Amino acid sequence: MSKLSHNPRLAGPLALAGSVLLIVSGLLSWSYEPILGDISVRFWPVTLQVYAIVMGVIALLLALVAAGPLGRWSQHIDPARGLRTMGVTAAIFAVTTLVAITHQTGGLINANEGVWIALVGGLLIAAAGYLRPETKVLDPAEIALPAWLEIIVIALLVGLGLYTAQYALKQTDPWVLVLLVGMLIGVTLTATRSNMASWVGGVTMRHQRVFLLATFVVVLAFPFTQGGSEANLNIAGNVLIFAATALGLNIVVGLAGLLDLGYIAFLGAGAYVGATMSYSAFATIGWKPPFLVVMLIGGLVSSILGLIIGSPTLRVSGDYLAIVTLAFGEIFRLAMFNLDGQSGPMITRGSNGINAIPDLNFFGFNFGQTHNILGIDIPRAGNYYFVLIALIVFVIIVFTHLNNSRIGRGWVAIREDERAAEAMGVNVFGLKILAFAGGASLAGMAGTVKAHMDQAVSPDSYIFLESAFLLAAVVLGGMGTVGGVLIGAAILKFLPEKLRFLDDYRLLMFGLVLVVMMRVRPEGLIASKRRQLEFHDDDEELAETVVIDELEAAK
Amino acid sequence: MELVAQQIVNGLTIGSLYALIAVGYTVVYGIIQLINFAHGEIFMIGAFGALSTSLILFPGQTALWTLPLILIGAVAAAVAVAVVMERIAYRPLRNAPRLAPLITAIGISVFLQELVRVGYNDPTLFISDANPFDFPSAKQKVVFPRVDGISGESFDLGGIILQRPAIFTVACLAISAIWLWYYINRTRSGRAMQAVSQDPDTARLMGINVDRIIVTAFAIGAALAAVAGVAYGLQTTNINFKMGFIYGLKAFTAAVLGGIGNIQGAVVGGLVLGILESIAIQYFPGGSPWKDIWAFSILILVLVFRPQGIMGAKVVDRA
Repeated sequence: MSKLSHNPRLAGPLALAGSVLLIVSGLLSWSYEPILGDISVRFWPVTLQVYAIVMGVIALLLALVAAGPLGRWSQHIDPARGLRTMGVTAAIFAVTTLVAITHQTGGLINANEGVWIALVGGLLIAAAGYLRPETKVLDPAEIALPAWLEIIVIALLVGLGLYTAQYALKQTDPWVLVLLVGMLIGVTLTATRSNMASWVGGVTMRHQRVFLLATFVVVLAFPFTQGGSEANLNIAGNVLIFAATALGLNIVVGLAGLLDLGYIAFLGAGAYVGATMSYSAFATIGWKPPFLVVMLIGGLVSSILGLIIGSPTLRVSGDYLAIVTLAFGEIFRLAMFNLDGQSGPMITRGSNGINAIPDLNFFGFNFGQTHNILGIDIPRAGNYYFVLIALIVFVIIVFTHLNNSRIGRGWVAIREDERAAEAMGVNVFGLKILAFAGGASLAGMAGTVKAHMDQAVSPDSYIFLESAFLLAAVVLGGMGTVGGVLIGAAILKFLPEKLRFLDDYRLLMFGLVLVVMMRVRPEGLIASKRRQLEFHDDDEELAETVVIDELEAAK
Repeated sequence: MELVAQQIVNGLTIGSLYALIAVGYTVVYGIIQLINFAHGEIFMIGAFGALSTSLILFPGQTALWTLPLILIGAVAAAVAVAVVMERIAYRPLRNAPRLAPLITAIGISVFLQELVRVGYNDPTLFISDANPFDFPSAKQKVVFPRVDGISGESFDLGGIILQRPAIFTVACLAISAIWLWYYINRTRSGRAMQAVSQDPDTARLMGINVDRIIVTAFAIGAALAAVAGVAYGLQTTNINFKMGFIYGLKAFTAAVLGGIGNIQGAVVGGLVLGILESIAIQYFPGGSPWKDIWAFSILILVLVFRPQGIMGAKVVDRA
């Protein structure tokens, strides 16, 4: 985009027209056939049409900021970037819908006027975004509304989060789900690009306790909203285990900057500890301590492995370390295969794995049964959900405390410049080892729960691809952030569970997304400002805000 | 004694494969310090390129004259994929933090594997079922075409069994190594490549087209990997979409063992790793199931204690 092509006067009307078109398209028919939740009916928006309207409303808001009554907001919100992202998202959304219609009905001919209008609307919005120059804006995080209003905003946001999760879990059509998630990602990116997210960040920072409490309540309330659905809670459980492990990896990769490509081995070690010490008939260790002890042992075993694999970091770093950890992950998997009593000692039962692991039982509370709490059935997966929530809260507390401590700053220093850190008196080797051992122990603990939840362990669940998935969760979400990794983990675990019959193309998409992501937004969906700076080191304005933030944090 | 000799022969065979693939890692690393994690997949693409050539041009034909054609097909497929990969996935990230290209490489690796797995007999993926040449599904092992004279009976040299494909593999390595040596040391672009690897900025100032040299490096690596893919197919008589991962990792081990960035080192490293592995199968505790564990342990030990490898490449700071 050359400077000459900027034409801000044209941008406003274009954006307005585009967003109105997008909203109107939601009221029109999208397809001749009643597919994807029946998008063929006019003036009765469902699924995709609703998403189009949501995007249209956001674009309209930005358009009004760009030219119109909300003009004074443009001090804080940059409509140009927001419109670009929203417009491109809407256009991609429309094109994907066209593909979906072609796929479902066997011909592009079945696409009705609505989807074409949405496409035009999206393109107009994007064009408006590119016609308008990017402006430097003030950080809206400082704008404070009355406290009660901000708390209502938080409640609404958190409620919206629960509703979205709920809604997404209900969707059965894979195309609808893909488009929904795409729309959500687009909206999130629009919010961050246009600086709107920064205000939300400011609000949550000012009322941190309220926000945490609200989130916690919603998270605890989630199983009660599922009406005893085992499947959805199972997905939620898998997401939580994955997220706990990814947070552990986030310490190693996100904070300390040590790339680990064999991280799944730590989860696996924990799972094998949990399995071999369980009451399963196939368990190979006679000692059956209480589960909490097993959990600690699992964490301990994993952290010892972490120590072993971390020790080469004294001499190896960067790409070489990645390969060392990759080799380690493969060694773990192969060893689990071989400890089957034939090629090695009998510990893991090789490729058969250890099956029939009984459910947990805390003081007579059997996790395998459905319990009725407050008149609502909490099925088996729900029980595990609560344990996993406890685990993940623990992990998050550990993570944030480490992050804001001397140790965390040491890690960041190592990540940025190892030699300088060493010269400043940071105990480089000790901290690296701590990152590996600490992260690994979190994964190990998650693994012990996983063994019971899955009722089986086998070496096939701990292949390299799983490590790649974990890494992707960290990278896609945003390295070094808690929220980002949780979102990354949720997307990466939730989508494949729901898209089971697109099974064949899942991994294909995954590979593609990784590549596209690294080119489009390498710092992840939710980026810590410091990370962002690393990937865009010519952005001086950003550099300044980072320095200011750091100084404030140090006070 | 015969047993040792037999294991060394086996080791040289498998080692030649490692060496052919390892060259690709080393050439690229030597120039842009990038571990091309997806290189193992290029090896796999080469094998499938050969299979496709055979299926398109002369299905069922096993005469010796098909060999050069399937080799050309393999090399063409692998080089095309490698060049496109460099262009869209690596070049835009050349100045990004080091994590970025590595993650892209993982993405490409998964993508290529899956593309072959689901797309081999259905190139348009889920749009329509197009399969003009009756390609088999690549979800399981696929039978690799035979070539008369190379897939035939093995020789027996006084108790030592010499497979014909093994001879072919070693010959491929020998020819490739000689050609590579000639190319690097005796041709203009080979010398330009040396210059870029020593100092890309100065090389650029001297009028060398650095981008083209980098693409050439990717292409050379891909061509040799494709040859390895054909040799692998002839040896094991079948190929699969997963074969690139473990061979890629082993070949990387070989490249590191020989000193990454050092081309002779890659060849020596590959052969040494192959022989070590064969001997491990015979004499190390655990035998065959544990051989990969030994190989990866060697990788870790070398990276930790002698990151410059046995041949000692230029010492890189990343180690």
